[in-house]
Amino acid sequence: MKNNEKVLIKGNYAIAQAAINAGCQCYFGYPMTPQTEIGEYLSSKMPELGRGFVCAESELAAINMVIGAVSTGVKAMTTSSSCAVALMQEALSYACGDEVPVVLVNVMRAGPGLGYIYPAQGDYNQSVYGGGNGDYKIIVLAPSTVQECVNYTYRAFYLAQKYRNPVILLADGLLGQMMEPASFGENPYPEVDVSSWALTGAKGREGRAIYSCAPDEKKQIQHIYNLFRKFEVIAENETSYDEFEVEDADIILTAFGSMTRNIKAAMKVLREKGIKAGCFRPITLSPFPSKRINELAKQGKDFVVVEMNMGQMLKDVEYSVKGQSKVSLINRPCGEWLSVEEIVSSVEKMVEVSYAAGI
Amino acid sequence: MEKNFILAGFGGQGILLAGTILANAFMLDDKNVTWYPCYGAEMRGGTVNCEIVVSDNEVSSVHKQDTDYALVLNQQSFDKFVQRVKSGGTIIANSTLVAESHPRNDIKYVFAPMGEMANELGTSKVTNVVSLGVLASVCDIVNKASLALGIEKVLGEKKKDLLPLNIKALNMYD
Repeated sequence: MKNNEKVLIKGNYAIAQAAINAGCQCYFGYPMTPQTEIGEYLSSKMPELGRGFVCAESELAAINMVIGAVSTGVKAMTTSSSCAVALMQEALSYACGDEVPVVLVNVMRAGPGLGYIYPAQGDYNQSVYGGGNGDYKIIVLAPSTVQECVNYTYRAFYLAQKYRNPVILLADGLLGQMMEPASFGENPYPEVDVSSWALTGAKGREGRAIYSCAPDEKKQIQHIYNLFRKFEVIAENETSYDEFEVEDADIILTAFGSMTRNIKAAMKVLREKGIKAGCFRPITLSPFPSKRINELAKQGKDFVVVEMNMGQMLKDVEYSVKGQSKVSLINRPCGEWLSVEEIVSSVEKMVEVSYAAGI
Repeated sequence: MEKNFILAGFGGQGILLAGTILANAFMLDDKNVTWYPCYGAEMRGGTVNCEIVVSDNEVSSVHKQDTDYALVLNQQSFDKFVQRVKSGGTIIANSTLVAESHPRNDIKYVFAPMGEMANELGTSKVTNVVSLGVLASVCDIVNKASLALGIEKVLGEKKKDLLPLNIKALNMYD
């Protein structure tokens, strides 16, 4: 599938096909609802294309296999869901320290612990802040439609190699399981030259090693400063977001991932009811678009964060707003997505309370 | 315009496939559309459902509290989803497996013996496609010709020989 014809396709299959188009040479994974279709799809397609597919013995093994593969300069990925992504945190810290371009797709389900297979957005903190050790940052992209699953999968492979840094595509069970028309087109990103660092065999050149261990204290300090300089460049170049009707808005609904669709619809209903609502939706959760949120907050616009967790992105919005305006939360921990009606009525109540209090 | 459809029945009745055909038909009509299944352990015997949302604009939420149309192929699904139909909405039921009843006054009812109609064609396996034909007859925005193209798309090259039977099934109800 490499043309502009629209096909009705599941989010999971769309991610898998986009990975193929992006040039993913190796896939390592382990089944887990609600992302199992990604591995299922690739288990037949990858061998047909002469590429690698390994159903690993565990998620822990899978992500370490990815580290091995991408160290040789090829594109590779693993996919999983929440509680198994928890297992991968150590490897993400290593991949960041090693500066290797790991691509990880997390199709979120409910937690904590084993939780259940219903969709949720409870891995915001896990993705953005991570559970690995040391100072490290991951690039996190959050699609809201099946078309964006395609687009951001392309982008994930590109950014990973461009910055030699792990990238997480953070989807959710709803997006993974739903079908929607999407077109694949061609991977729009150029190939990244990896020849200066990839482990391709030392014939005819000096040997190389990739490791995150520096017994020399000065070197380790310098390494971390270098990493953080890189993160600054990433933040400068790659921070992205969508905003809708924020110019005249008094109140800005903010969501990530597939909840974006619901806040956009709620915004329209609220506007029909005379409440000046806008929408803001980070595409990169890390780097987070704090600067833009702060600009909007300085204009006196209040923020309402809508998410399927107990208030995780809320903290980043609060940090970005820096007390310049009011930040509230509409949420549910997991399961049935907050409906447009629920969001509208919650916002209406907030507006009434503010009005009564003379704010 | 945004309308949603819940399709529900036993696991094994081809509910998710019927939903896929319907969503393909809407896509072929150049509409925005989403298909969202209940997912998990419901394979055979349990109840299964999917929701299709079609819109001239961007589809808002893919999973809604209530529905414009419910297409139900068994009794359990009728009992459950008759409560979720919007006031003024329509429930379309397979009377082969659903007892005719009218528990609410504010919605429309269509009962058709979809299972028996499929059996007339020699197999109950096409009950799902018969049900889509019934849906097309009572719902303006569902186009039978597009459904036929949707069936063709879903069957693909491998199962092309099943196309004539399914087209017959689609046209059983008028």
